[in-house]
Amino acid sequence: MAVEKKQPRVIVFSTPSCPWCRKTKMYLKQNKIKFKDIDVSKDMSAARDMVRMTGQQGVPVVLIGNRPIVGFNKPLINKLLGIK
Amino acid sequence: MDFSLGSLQESKELKDSYDLIILGGGPAGLTAAIYARRSGLSTLVVEPLITGGNIASTEKVDNWPGDTDGVSGEELANRFTKHAERFGTEFLYDDITEVNLSGNEKIIKSGNKSIKSKAVIIATGTHPRSINVPGEKEYKGHGISYCATCDAPFFKGKDIVVIGAGNSAIEESLYLLNFVKSITFIQDLPYITAEKILADEIQKKENVKFYFEHLVKEFKGDGNKLTSVIFEDRKTGETKEIKTEGCFVYIGLIPNTNLYKGQIELDKYGYVIANEDTITSTSGVFAAGDVRVKNLRQIVTAVSDGAVAAYEAKKYIDKLNGGN
Repeated sequence: MAVEKKQPRVIVFSTPSCPWCRKTKMYLKQNKIKFKDIDVSKDMSAARDMVRMTGQQGVPVVLIGNRPIVGFNKPLINKLLGIK
Repeated sequence: MDFSLGSLQESKELKDSYDLIILGGGPAGLTAAIYARRSGLSTLVVEPLITGGNIASTEKVDNWPGDTDGVSGEELANRFTKHAERFGTEFLYDDITEVNLSGNEKIIKSGNKSIKSKAVIIATGTHPRSINVPGEKEYKGHGISYCATCDAPFFKGKDIVVIGAGNSAIEESLYLLNFVKSITFIQDLPYITAEKILADEIQKKENVKFYFEHLVKEFKGDGNKLTSVIFEDRKTGETKEIKTEGCFVYIGLIPNTNLYKGQIELDKYGYVIANEDTITSTSGVFAAGDVRVKNLRQIVTAVSDGAVAAYEAKKYIDKLNGGN
């Protein structure tokens, strides 16, 4: 019997009015992926962490495990989370 | 702010065919959906991103009649969406990959789905124009941004540059000023092109500076992030450099019409050629909102187009079905 693999930790760095952030979160919810949403407009230290980690000064950034993904990169998100 | 899927639910089971498919779920597309559903047409809206179009990422809409104190773009986008949902519009949130607009049966391909309709309303809007100078691609997301409401928090307390001085540039800059220390505008024309109320408001601010009749030539960086913008005085040819870690680009829009090339008439900028009646060169295809050739691209003109397009689509479908 196939054993379902545990979903890796997923964090979405976002701002409330960023359309690609909403698209990303909508996509994860539709695929029943649990994630933590960090609003970088409210959490400036998280914003700094994100920039340090990725060099990226724009959202969304999706952290899957330890792998940061910049923007809504559907193929890469699918690959890392096993979404078919 | 809570992220709610409330108004962004994809329809569970899509049909193979609809009376009307609306491409794009901005103000034009959603208004078309409201009118189409009220006239009894089965209607599918296909939206690649999120509904609301460009207003969904606009901090504040201050010229929507009836909202006397202004309204957040996100809220207005959600209201439009819920209104279209209330009348039974179906939604597909996915890329539009291929269209076949000729003949009486239109075919829209989205992902692995192929859906037919009798009529199509194109309401796919526009996206921000790139400036196409060296360094832009390299430092996009590393100091260069096209969306203030998305990326403003990363530039808190910094001296930034905004390229352009049209409505979008000034509206977004008024929002950016809540975060940044100062804004230097670089504008190719000799004046602010935004409407007067916005121009007056930005000029009252003490921490803004304008370079008129200057052109951006290059973005420079340290390999990781933007460090300066190189620009040129159009009158003297003098090259200047301004040190900055942040630059927002608002130099106009490009219509999202690549998919329709060769199937409907577009003007030289790529906008769909259609009159006030929204009727395009292809039978059964209508164009509404910012994607259409027009002089004023606003929410009110988009929703007007949407209503007209739905009315014309209904007339077309009735005729196709052998009615009056």
